[in-house]
Amino acid sequence: MSAVPAAVEPEWQRLHPATLALAIVRLGPRSLNFVPALAAIGFAGKWAYVVPALLAFLLFSLVTAWLQWLRFRFAVSANEVVIESGVLSRQHRTIPFDRIQDVGIEQGLVARALGIAKVGFETGAGGQENDADLDAIGLDAAQALRTTIRAHRSEAVAPVAETETSVAEDRLLFAMTPHQLLVAGLFNFSLAALAVVGAGMQLFDNFLPFDFNTFNPADWIDIAEDYGLDQWVLAHRWVAGVGAAVSLLFIGFASGIILMLFANWNFRLTREPRALRRTRGLTTRTDVAVPVRRVQAAILVTGWFRKRFGWHELRLQSLASDGGKERDHQVVPFARLDAIDQVLAEVAIARPDDAQPWQRSHGIIALGGLIGATFAATGGLIALSLGERAGWLGLIAALPIAIAAFFGARFHRWTDLGDSVAIRRGFWKPKMTLLPHASVQSVDLKTDFILRPLGLGTLVFGVPGGSALAAHEIPAIPISVAQDLRDRILAAGARR
Amino acid sequence: MTDTAPAPTDPLAHDAINAADGLDPVNPAYTHVLRAATALNMVPFGIAASVFDYMLIRHIEGPYGLITALAWALAIFAIVSFPARRMQRWGYKIGEGQLRVARGWLFRTDTIVPFVRVQHIDVGQGPIERWFGLSHLIVHTSGTHNSMVTLPGLHADLAAAMRETIRRHIQTDFA
Repeated sequence: MSAVPAAVEPEWQRLHPATLALAIVRLGPRSLNFVPALAAIGFAGKWAYVVPALLAFLLFSLVTAWLQWLRFRFAVSANEVVIESGVLSRQHRTIPFDRIQDVGIEQGLVARALGIAKVGFETGAGGQENDADLDAIGLDAAQALRTTIRAHRSEAVAPVAETETSVAEDRLLFAMTPHQLLVAGLFNFSLAALAVVGAGMQLFDNFLPFDFNTFNPADWIDIAEDYGLDQWVLAHRWVAGVGAAVSLLFIGFASGIILMLFANWNFRLTREPRALRRTRGLTTRTDVAVPVRRVQAAILVTGWFRKRFGWHELRLQSLASDGGKERDHQVVPFARLDAIDQVLAEVAIARPDDAQPWQRSHGIIALGGLIGATFAATGGLIALSLGERAGWLGLIAALPIAIAAFFGARFHRWTDLGDSVAIRRGFWKPKMTLLPHASVQSVDLKTDFILRPLGLGTLVFGVPGGSALAAHEIPAIPISVAQDLRDRILAAGARR
Repeated sequence: MTDTAPAPTDPLAHDAINAADGLDPVNPAYTHVLRAATALNMVPFGIAASVFDYMLIRHIEGPYGLITALAWALAIFAIVSFPARRMQRWGYKIGEGQLRVARGWLFRTDTIVPFVRVQHIDVGQGPIERWFGLSHLIVHTSGTHNSMVTLPGLHADLAAAMRETIRRHIQTDFA
């Protein structure tokens, strides 16, 4: 193969010229970094230099972007993708098609307007920097590239006759209608945005055209004053409280719905020959595929309230990570269990039925929370004795922490389904992990000076993918049971 | 193995934990490695405490010498008495297609890695280990948790032999 290196001169391509437009758009946020420098110039008393400095910075950035575009080229040959990049230090990267686990396509708002898309090659190598991107090429070119790579992969694995049937196999597994999104958004009630809005109101208090803080009952009284209702409101102070509460609820629901709409607009999960493919997003549209054979575990998440209505979310843990932030792939954001079971069937993971008996972890796992509560209480008491009134906060916080620890400990359960283990935990956000025995790479049996006298141990499973901080574990079960389960799981892994 | 009563092991007995779990002890020379490593940590700590004592406590007319004495007492205690304990808490068992590594007592972790799950194997030797003719074996798995399992305190020949054993298993699995 190395005998003919010069004969095959690859057909070099550049990124789409619209990428430059994208670079200009990105200049906006990036020039914020330059603000401190500008301020420094300004404070030095040289205001005349501010505008030239800004212009020079913009020009420099544009030239850099253009040079980068000029020096970036890639070629798609029969078996591999070659990428050359770098202005000063050149980098030459070859990615064989065989090593590309999947091709992701992502389009931001501007990119969609320009008809271009970012192509990411998932190679399964650890770390974000080891994967390559083409940012950005035309959308049709991106899709053609993905088809080429997928076709190559299916050719390499399956016989030719089989490919035709498998192409026809693409079918819709799950989609979200606007109505479903709205319902999901209502359950997505979140006061997280509230903190942002509240902080913003504090920060921009003086800049806002209106002087109004939604969370301050006094402001609601001011409004009433304008309408001559002040006497009535002062007499009925609860109205002001209700106003604050209603706006709180409104912000919570609105942010839930908006977040859900932006993230999951036109959500579609399709079954492809060897992967589950998910497209979603209102402004930023992503197109991600999870290879079925690389799915390691399934995680069912719900909330204590939505659970009463039968709504669940399904995540799949895979070797590849879902974008930069999420470790697990969200394949069903909001659905009832029958829809989720269909998806689970595709990845060959079974959900325990209602008759399945569950075993519970020992109540000792509440100890951590109880110790935390004790610390909060003693800290509060010490602060109070020193005359610091904020110490009450510690005392008040201790009680719910202790109750949550006691109550939450009752929800740690597990069961062995023969070829997989199901682990359940949490009351506020119930979470069920379905872990096939075959995914388990190593098993830890941990004991410590508290668990050992009680004859208990904690099983921790080493599973590919997922977060390093949240390993799958079954806490505080009798040692003999733990050893039995460990032997069974390892035996199943050895059979494969 | 499953009917072992875990509770009544005497924590002060020499190889009580390993014997109860059916594990082999690591090479006793590992004590010296641990002791040298502890000394490398504790001596700078003692020096730092002395300097702190000399620079600060003397000037504020505190109990000069107390911190120095305490720090060095702690350092000597840690260097003399702990390493032998820590060595005894390590245990391993190789066989039945799996590697078992146990460590610690206050927080004890007993890890099993089936040979078929091993991605690759390292045998490493640090300068202190080389001095005592020891090596450590590192087994890499593709799990995010336990992506590497380290077994220290092996005689260099034994570590090499274990590596070969595991390697043979990996090869037969793929053949």
